[in-house]
Amino acid sequence: MAWDLFLWILSFFVSLALVASVFYQVICLTDLEADYLNPFETSSRINRLILPEFILQGSICILFLLTWHWVFFLVALPVTCYHAMLYKERRHLIDVTEVFRGISFEKKLRFTKLGFYIVLFIMVVFRLTLSAVYSFTEDDDLLHLF
Amino acid sequence: MNTENQGFSNLPARPPPSSSSPFASAPPPGVPPQSGGPEAVGFRPPVRPFTPSGPPMAPPVGVMRPGQQPPFVSQIPGQGIRPPPPSSNSFPSPAYGPPGGGSFQRFPTPPPPSGPPQTQTLAGHLSPPMSFRPQQPMAPVTMRPPPQSMTSGVSGGFASPPGPGFQQSMPPVNPSYPGVGGGPQPSYPGYPTNQGLQGPPKAFQPPSQGPPSTVSSYPTQPGGFAQQNLHPSYAPPTSNVQGLVEDFNSLSLSNIPGSLEPGLDHTSFPRPLDGDVEPSSFAEAYPMNCHSRYLRLTTSAIPNSQSLASRWHLPLGAVVCPLAEAPEGEEVPLIDFGACGIIRCRRCRTYVNPYVTFTDSGRKWRCNICSMLNDVPGEYFSHLDATGRRMDMDQRPELTKGSVEIIAPTEYMVRPPMPPIYFFLIDVSFSATKSGMLEVATQTIKSCLDNLPGYPRTQIGFITYDSTLHFYNMKSSLSQPQMMVVSDLDDIFVPLPDDLLVNLSESRNVVEAFLDSLPLMFQDNGNVESAFGPALKAAYMVMNQLGGKLLIFQNSLPSLGVGRLKLRGDDPRVYGTDKEYTLRVAEDTFYKQMAADCTKFQIGINVYAFSDKYTDIASLGTLAKYTGGQVYYYPGFQSSIHGEKLRHELTRDLTRETAWESVMRIRCGKGIRFSTYHGNFMLRSTDLIALPAVDCDKAYAMQLTLEETLLTTPTVYFQVALLYTASCGERRIRVHTAVAPVVTDLGEMYRQADTGSIVSVYSRLAIEKTLSSKLDDARNVIQQKIVKALREYRNLHAVQHRLGSRLIYPESLKLLSLYGLAICKSTPLQGGPADASLDERCAAGFTMMALPVKKLLKLLYPSLFRVDEWLLKPSADLGDLKDVIRRLPLAAESLDSRGLYIYDDGFRLVLWFGRMLSPDIAKNLLGADFAAELSRVTLEEQENGMSKKLMRLIKKVRENDPSYHPMCFLVRQGEQPREGFLLLRHLIEDQMGGSTSYVDWILQLHRQIQQNA
Repeated sequence: MAWDLFLWILSFFVSLALVASVFYQVICLTDLEADYLNPFETSSRINRLILPEFILQGSICILFLLTWHWVFFLVALPVTCYHAMLYKERRHLIDVTEVFRGISFEKKLRFTKLGFYIVLFIMVVFRLTLSAVYSFTEDDDLLHLF
Repeated sequence: MNTENQGFSNLPARPPPSSSSPFASAPPPGVPPQSGGPEAVGFRPPVRPFTPSGPPMAPPVGVMRPGQQPPFVSQIPGQGIRPPPPSSNSFPSPAYGPPGGGSFQRFPTPPPPSGPPQTQTLAGHLSPPMSFRPQQPMAPVTMRPPPQSMTSGVSGGFASPPGPGFQQSMPPVNPSYPGVGGGPQPSYPGYPTNQGLQGPPKAFQPPSQGPPSTVSSYPTQPGGFAQQNLHPSYAPPTSNVQGLVEDFNSLSLSNIPGSLEPGLDHTSFPRPLDGDVEPSSFAEAYPMNCHSRYLRLTTSAIPNSQSLASRWHLPLGAVVCPLAEAPEGEEVPLIDFGACGIIRCRRCRTYVNPYVTFTDSGRKWRCNICSMLNDVPGEYFSHLDATGRRMDMDQRPELTKGSVEIIAPTEYMVRPPMPPIYFFLIDVSFSATKSGMLEVATQTIKSCLDNLPGYPRTQIGFITYDSTLHFYNMKSSLSQPQMMVVSDLDDIFVPLPDDLLVNLSESRNVVEAFLDSLPLMFQDNGNVESAFGPALKAAYMVMNQLGGKLLIFQNSLPSLGVGRLKLRGDDPRVYGTDKEYTLRVAEDTFYKQMAADCTKFQIGINVYAFSDKYTDIASLGTLAKYTGGQVYYYPGFQSSIHGEKLRHELTRDLTRETAWESVMRIRCGKGIRFSTYHGNFMLRSTDLIALPAVDCDKAYAMQLTLEETLLTTPTVYFQVALLYTASCGERRIRVHTAVAPVVTDLGEMYRQADTGSIVSVYSRLAIEKTLSSKLDDARNVIQQKIVKALREYRNLHAVQHRLGSRLIYPESLKLLSLYGLAICKSTPLQGGPADASLDERCAAGFTMMALPVKKLLKLLYPSLFRVDEWLLKPSADLGDLKDVIRRLPLAAESLDSRGLYIYDDGFRLVLWFGRMLSPDIAKNLLGADFAAELSRVTLEEQENGMSKKLMRLIKKVRENDPSYHPMCFLVRQGEQPREGFLLLRHLIEDQMGGSTSYVDWILQLHRQIQQNA
């Protein structure tokens, strides 16, 4: 039971980090559009985050698979596949020279990802509370919960 | 114009329609004796410089009461000053292009039977209903009782002797009217009666009897209107009526596609044999616009709504060449605002320009772009005269000229203006010394030292590299340069960072000593490696304090250190697959990153590549692309052959006026926005182009989008502003302002289209497309775009005309399809992998992305002309190049085996010796080895008049356009494969290998246009 709680706490922080990272990237891109940031800075800021995000997302996906949480795994899987594809085609980083050409696509992509991550986050929070409740109450009390 | 003349010259030869045809009453062919081309052209419908929108305004009123009509006010000066009777001015000029008939119709009313042409047009314009109610274009015409229409219906109108103008303008057509009009169209069952004669009768001719092929233009037909009067119920929408007024061109493709032997007379197809003809009506209508060499819109009529813009399938945008070379006497005036600072709009930051208006007795001015009311600073104040003009207008070039250069005060500097800096990164490996590149380059640099711009502030520096990097200390206190070798490529450091980049005037002796000794130092260098990436990084580290221009001389594939490149592209399996495009983009992100970093620190890179083997220009060129530079490619460089070319082009690169650390922005009126930019540069923000070094040979294309669904202003203003540091150390702003009318009608947009500019945008789009997909796809995209545009145009006109077997196009776009074909056959896009090496393709692609419009058009449709006759003429002196150069169609049949021809695309000159060319000429020109294989012969001046004459001609051709140095190639007819490679493949009208010929291309387009038409 403790392990379960630990898993959910971990995934809570991971998905929180993912949401924050993507949110930050979106903000960078909108700043770029509004001319508050230059392309050099934008791309270096975003590109710095991309690989950690991919790794984090991939590992949480694998973690779900290993801990046999099917639903969570399936929710995380599409994004992981997409990340893997981008990485394989070497398109994962923002191209500083052509930022403006792809900016609308990049923004859309990040908004979609943000949606995914938020869904994941909410699911994780739900399971976290559930699991917290599980662990802090007695087993027989649980029956009264439902 | 040209095509029409051709078309008309064909007409007399046209076989008379057979007697069994519905044209039984058609006259014998000799009837139209007046059918000379010139008259026919001369009697175009009256033209009036284009006015932006419906109501003609009363100019002075607007100026005096500016507050009432804000949107109109700003344009008044231009119109008010302009002499009002343009129709009579422009009438005689046949070159006036498409007729007027702007968004309000100017129908020439049916001519009075005996009136001279001028009066009839004036009558047409000045007829009272016309000028009072211009919003109802149909009204004046229908109300006005035209004498013909009342007589006897259809036939009467045409049977009555028309005015002389009428007769002349339509001679070949005119006689067939009785035939058509006589019976109420009995022989055309399918033809709607109420459309009557709206279509030109020529279109009625059944394909089998029609002229084999004609390119004809349809002038305005007064008859069409007369006819409409009879059918008041049939009131076509405005755009349809417009179609009648319009004279569009058409190309009869009457034969069944496929069997083109007798039918298609491709000699009459439109060709740009006069070079690039810019639409002149626009420039005349707005004399205060900047010259078209600086800014060319793809159409000088901006659509007023998004729906209209979406029907305009051609690109909507502009090609900007901010520093184009102005001829003597037309230099851009330099202005110093002094204490009052630069006058700019507070809100939209527009610079003051001829289209702003001064109000409130000169204390305020209204911005023409955002219509904001700004204060006039006290120092700039001037009283207004009675018409609202400033009194000091004539002393203020910024208020009268579309292009000005403003000296920028310190607010426009983030740091002190940089000195001109030239840094050279020279490959000294085995191949560089062996080919002689090193020697030619150092000699040229040495000879240019005196002419580098910006003396005495100019700075210079060198790094050479093979498998190691060599730095040179050129401190002025030394007598000889000191060489320092760095061999650790993984961790580059720059020794003596302060003395590598030195002031030229101080260290002149050291620099000269260095340039003299450099070739000798490395003449026995056997090193074949190339540590290009580390060398580039080192140069970047030296330069990033100040920026400047970095010239890279690269002789082989970068093989060591960071940025090393692989030999790719020799795997034939990649071609034709979806992966093909990867060969045309930079392989290593190092190059893109480096390019971005260089732009950030104001370093512009020019790449000179010399290898005969694969050098991955795609990757190297990326450096030039994003830093606003260019790529010079000399495949298989040999100093004996290419030395001259390198010398000229390097000299040009080093000595031309260059703008440093510049940024460019183009502003435009509310509701529209420039959304995409194409060319060699990097975007600093959504609309700010960063150009570390820019010069007169660079042009940039951009496309517009409409942001608002409806534009309400009658005109749209564009302002290009280039902020740069001149070589002399002044910070300047070059401002080009232009205005274009907003129109509601698609026909008008087509009429005002500028083929050159459109082609320029298209070629850039196509080249960009090759970077993300297959060549085939890129070519298809171009074809589809042209098809869509012409289909839309056809739909505009199909109502009135039976155009089954005709390809119709506006006069302004008559060359679009040919240039489309030329784009598809240009080096970056042509054929398959075997047709051009990967490096050539990429190099040509980078070059074409930067070319100004005129040079691009010349590259796409090069000139071919015959010179042997001219050479034999004893007296002919080389006065004007135009007298000698009679451009021929680019087809093999233009070549006569008895002639000597020159093919000139601006980059290469090919001298083609016919097989049966008189041996005397060959002997005179080539000297003793005239019979040898021409690949080994170089053209040198011989001691005889003919050779001197030819060399003078070639010299003149080269001087005509100094930005590149066309190299001379000699080839004899039948000398394969050189002939095919040098010339035949570039005869774009012919079918070569898998490519289509001009005729087939036209047929293809036509077929596709008709599908879903």
